[in-house]
Amino acid sequence: MKKKLNLAPVFFVGPHVILFIVFILLPTIYGIYASFTKWNLMNDPVWVGLDNYKTILFDNSSTFHTQFNNGLKNTLIFVLLSVPLLIVLPLLIAVALEHKKVKGKSLIQAILYVPGLISISAGALIWLLLFNKQLGMVGNVFGSEVSWPTHQPYAWILIIIITIWGGVGGNLIIYRASISGVAQDLYESAEMDGAGPIRRFASITLPSIRFPLVYTFVMTTAGAFNVFGQPLMMTDGGPRQSTHVLMMYIRQLAFGNGESIAGMASAMAVLLGLVILLISALQYYVMNRNAA
Amino acid sequence: MLNKKWGFSAIALVLSLSTVLAGCGNDDKNNTITFWTPLTGDDGAYMDQLVKDYNATNPEIKVKHVITADMYTKVSTVLNSGKGVPDLAIIHADRVPGFVKQGQLEPMTAVTTAQPEIKEDNYLPQAWNTGNIDGTQYTVPLDIHSNVMYYNKDLLAKYGAESFLDDNVVTIDEMLSLQGKLDEGDYVVNDALLGWVILAQIQDLGGDIQEDGKPAVNTPVMKQAFENVKKINDAGLMTPFGEDGYLMFQSGNVLFSTDGTWSSTAHAGVEGLNFGVTNVYSPTPDKFTNRSSSHLFAMLKNKDRSEEKVAGIGSFLEFIRENSMEWAKAGQTVASKQVIENPEYQNYMQSFFTSNEKEIESLYIYTYEYYPYIAEAVDTYCGDIVRGNVDIDETLATMQKFVEDKIAEGTSAQ
Repeated sequence: MKKKLNLAPVFFVGPHVILFIVFILLPTIYGIYASFTKWNLMNDPVWVGLDNYKTILFDNSSTFHTQFNNGLKNTLIFVLLSVPLLIVLPLLIAVALEHKKVKGKSLIQAILYVPGLISISAGALIWLLLFNKQLGMVGNVFGSEVSWPTHQPYAWILIIIITIWGGVGGNLIIYRASISGVAQDLYESAEMDGAGPIRRFASITLPSIRFPLVYTFVMTTAGAFNVFGQPLMMTDGGPRQSTHVLMMYIRQLAFGNGESIAGMASAMAVLLGLVILLISALQYYVMNRNAA
Repeated sequence: MLNKKWGFSAIALVLSLSTVLAGCGNDDKNNTITFWTPLTGDDGAYMDQLVKDYNATNPEIKVKHVITADMYTKVSTVLNSGKGVPDLAIIHADRVPGFVKQGQLEPMTAVTTAQPEIKEDNYLPQAWNTGNIDGTQYTVPLDIHSNVMYYNKDLLAKYGAESFLDDNVVTIDEMLSLQGKLDEGDYVVNDALLGWVILAQIQDLGGDIQEDGKPAVNTPVMKQAFENVKKINDAGLMTPFGEDGYLMFQSGNVLFSTDGTWSSTAHAGVEGLNFGVTNVYSPTPDKFTNRSSSHLFAMLKNKDRSEEKVAGIGSFLEFIRENSMEWAKAGQTVASKQVIENPEYQNYMQSFFTSNEKEIESLYIYTYEYYPYIAEAVDTYCGDIVRGNVDIDETLATMQKFVEDKIAEGTSAQ
């Protein structure tokens, strides 16, 4: 019997594969290649081997070494401050919304989700006005005497507030969807056995949504490492470059003023990518092992 | 059933291919001059109008204005691939030396030969000269956009400071004389475009940002420039760090705002703001500088640009030279002498800066090859230095290293 050739799946998957190759795979490979070169984006790259990496990692006197260390340190601070909040807060809200007595669940969910749809620049302008000492609510209603974007720890608080405001909704939807999939009879039998709400959360909800939790944790962390818009718009990296994150340095080197330093920027980007890969793998391994 | 499957597949293929290939088509590429500008603000609309006016003259080849956000990134991409290079572009003055060194600019010789009125005599000298490298003209100027100082007439009268403007030079000492005399919430000056102010002070002090072609950032003159401005902050006369000094000027709490010529249109829209414009403050009454840049028409290297198009570009630039009064509406100092000598130009506030030779000379454009790196260093650190958040000597050394490292990394690729 002649085997029927079914090309339909190829046509559906094909465009995605093409787009992946053109816009993800090839640029990534070229980016890694560029990290071993000196390149100003206009002329051909010149191969320099590991020079860029040596400078970034080991040359204490180099500006690029200082920038990488400062950028990575600030990025890590952002990750440590934002990720736990972006995991715990949506989870608590999702669980709270499951309560029978809560009215208007979809409306609350929509209100929390909408900020995530607003562009970071527009959101930042709104929050900067709210926190403006002269014109904003924080100065006039709460009597704050501080210029938040230019003083620490307020600058970080400001960045974290806008991040949480914009980021809670995404994870919330994932948690709500997965919690709604948990069988109700588990809760009912646990309730009959006398389990309280905390026990039910710890023994039923959390294990049941293990995979969504691992997924959001890994993806939120990876996303947080790529932070760029919030510190750029809210503090411009200040005060004294204490909120200047790595992506800002990378962008400035590659597409900033004057001749581009794209080779060095690529090397920094590759190193950042390796850090993200390592931490994501570690998170996945640890969380999956503990849950097994 | 099979037909239905194939139908879906065909639609999916067509949609994806049309997405990928969108924009590749360019039917009118031979009879249209593609003109890229980075004018993403209100000025883009004024340029649109100028292009529309030109096209209304029914030229042989029409101009298509494309406002391109992040233009320099896109320029490097198209130059690298050699495809999609615009026929004409507006670039900033500080980009010229770098582009020329990379061999990415076409000389304007064909344009200036075909259009004899496009010549140095018909433009503001520094705007024209910024495009001249080793005797070859690479650009034709559109404007000079400079740092200027707006003043609040009501506040000057309130504090008896109108005499500061008598010689058109407000000195730092005059500003300091107001110490202790202002109501709470009022300030003498804001920190808008502070980096440009610092770079102007260097000229006022007789210094420069380079010595024998090498960057000179960690210098006594630079230190003096920072210390002079810091004096104003230390006396409590500068708007507080982190406050929006631009808005504070508009709300009538600041005597002077060191902003750009282009802000005059926004200030004019504020009800009750009674303001004028003068030169940026100086440490000495003998010299004043308004740090400036310039928008320049340039032809990036493009092997597909035909002679007809070059002729069309010449016609367009000649039209702009004669008809760019529209550009004055954007608040810019127009580079064409024919426009600025037109009595109508006096209606625009920025005409102050071309009212006499001394004012024209005050519009200073840095043309040092590595100016962009130095400007970046100054912008990055000036706020913290002037506010006393960092040690000045240490930071100047860091800035010098910052510039040197970038230069070493950038040029060694050649």
